[in-house]
Amino acid sequence: MSVAGAGTPPEEPMFELPHELAIDTGVARRVIADFIRGQLRQAGFERAVLGLSGGIDSALVAFLVAEAIGPERLLCVMMPYRTSSPASQADAEAVVAALGCASELVEITAMVDGYFGVDGVPGEGGPDALDASPLRRGNFMARMRMATLYDRSVTWRALVVGTGNKTESLIGYTTLFGDAACAFNPIGDLYKSQVRQLAAAVGVPETVIRKAPSADLWPGQTDETEAGFTYPVLDRVLFWRVDRRRSVDEMVAMGFEAGLVERVDRMIAGSEFKRQVPPIAKLGPRTAGVDYLYPRRRPGSARP
Amino acid sequence: MQPLRIALAQIAPRLGDLEANLTRHHELIAEARGQGAGLVIFPELGLTGYQLQDLAADVAVRLDDPRLAGLAEAARGMSAVVSFVEESADHRLFIAAALLEDGLIRHVHRKVFLPTYGLFDERRFFAAGDVVRATPSRLGVGVGLAVCEDFWHVSTPHLLAMDGAHLLINVSSSPGRDLASTHDVGLGTAASWRTLMRTYAQLTTSFVVFCNRVGVDESLSFWGGSEVIGPTGATVFGAPMFEEGLFTADIELGDVRRERITLPLLRDERPELVAREWDRIVAGRAGLAEDAGQ
Repeated sequence: MSVAGAGTPPEEPMFELPHELAIDTGVARRVIADFIRGQLRQAGFERAVLGLSGGIDSALVAFLVAEAIGPERLLCVMMPYRTSSPASQADAEAVVAALGCASELVEITAMVDGYFGVDGVPGEGGPDALDASPLRRGNFMARMRMATLYDRSVTWRALVVGTGNKTESLIGYTTLFGDAACAFNPIGDLYKSQVRQLAAAVGVPETVIRKAPSADLWPGQTDETEAGFTYPVLDRVLFWRVDRRRSVDEMVAMGFEAGLVERVDRMIAGSEFKRQVPPIAKLGPRTAGVDYLYPRRRPGSARP
Repeated sequence: MQPLRIALAQIAPRLGDLEANLTRHHELIAEARGQGAGLVIFPELGLTGYQLQDLAADVAVRLDDPRLAGLAEAARGMSAVVSFVEESADHRLFIAAALLEDGLIRHVHRKVFLPTYGLFDERRFFAAGDVVRATPSRLGVGVGLAVCEDFWHVSTPHLLAMDGAHLLINVSSSPGRDLASTHDVGLGTAASWRTLMRTYAQLTTSFVVFCNRVGVDESLSFWGGSEVIGPTGATVFGAPMFEEGLFTADIELGDVRRERITLPLLRDERPELVAREWDRIVAGRAGLAEDAGQ
């Protein structure tokens, strides 16, 4: 299935949507809007804050939050680093303009360079940090953005809304306590292909939907060249393997390449720790997450 | 037989807040009375919310709790179905639904089938009921109460109808999931439930009433879509999905007699055959049959 954008010829689909992943976007919007309102109400908050990168995931969440509680209660924070793509910044600004929500620009360059150093001058991370790998830098940037969002959640009196999708969560393409950190996540059970379908339905700008997904950790980086497979293929592997419990043999019989399925399996297993609350050594009579099990919010737990 | 107006309270209970939910029940009972309803129905755990976990013990009530008596008093002159965590004398916790009539608790059904798989974990926190029985009611017909998962077992509606129920009432907290666009109502859960309700109504030639909650507990969103299905399997009323409200539907209880004369499925049931075969199967599954092959 291909989905054409409004006003574009049908031979130029905005994105590829595997048919088994197609969702009823009307029901999804309804459920997500109630979910967002419910999370805020149960916690005693009226406002939300999120990091807007210019990519499709955070753009979609911004649209969904604005739809649920009104754009006046949403703060979008743009947090570029000096190497971040100027096009991302422009796309983020287009989303803010379309929604009419509040926005702030917080450069993280000084925070990141202050640790890793810059122009041969070491930072607080020591001289070795000058040669830090892209992985270290990317994780650090994600955590500086997290720290910024949680600080802004105090000044804006808001909850931090997560913007990670199911695809990146399952393969572990996230930074623990970085972009994965949030109070709640409205799109964490949607694959990238479904994010695209919903983004088109809620009116996310077409340039944002069409562009190649990127973590924008270095110039020219894209998710799909880095991973070596496209999102529609990856989403289908994850859907049949995880949601529909197909064995590797069954996947191969369906036409998937065994090597691909096994590689995705390893990514899922290797990132399990990122999707769970850290274990506590069981010592006392009742232990959080083990045999002390309460809803996150109950009478008395809402912020007064 | 008089027409009956049913009021479906498709509410979003506050999780763990018994007092707030109690207040809401009183408001809606009064509103249902104002609209001329003879029967008002609240969803599963409408007095407590669903995803209670260890809170279940904190919000549990005994059947002699004055707050239940207060609801029964408020519903005097009508029939009301409410649902809560019941604590028994020996301190077991049940998911219960009660029929309130004439200022009293007329009948209590304790949820028999507790889903403990997938997103459900009920058996960890609750005890399972052991009884499936219809009850006479002031409505002039037998009423059968069931809670959510009880209707994912065909034995429940079958037993209730055979035991004299003309009106099968299922109260639910059904979480929505499976958003595939291939379903006729956009939600796999809703599509399945709609099939079940029509099938049971037709096979038991009874009215089937489904009252499902809305709102959000933690990760779970409840989809509403409460329904009244007639004894022919035809839809009498369907409430909107996800929308909170008190919805009314009028039924003619005499339709049950008409349908059962026309289509005497229950007359032709063979309970003695079913019981005999069940005895054999139960013995076989327990390894007690003479020729138990496994």
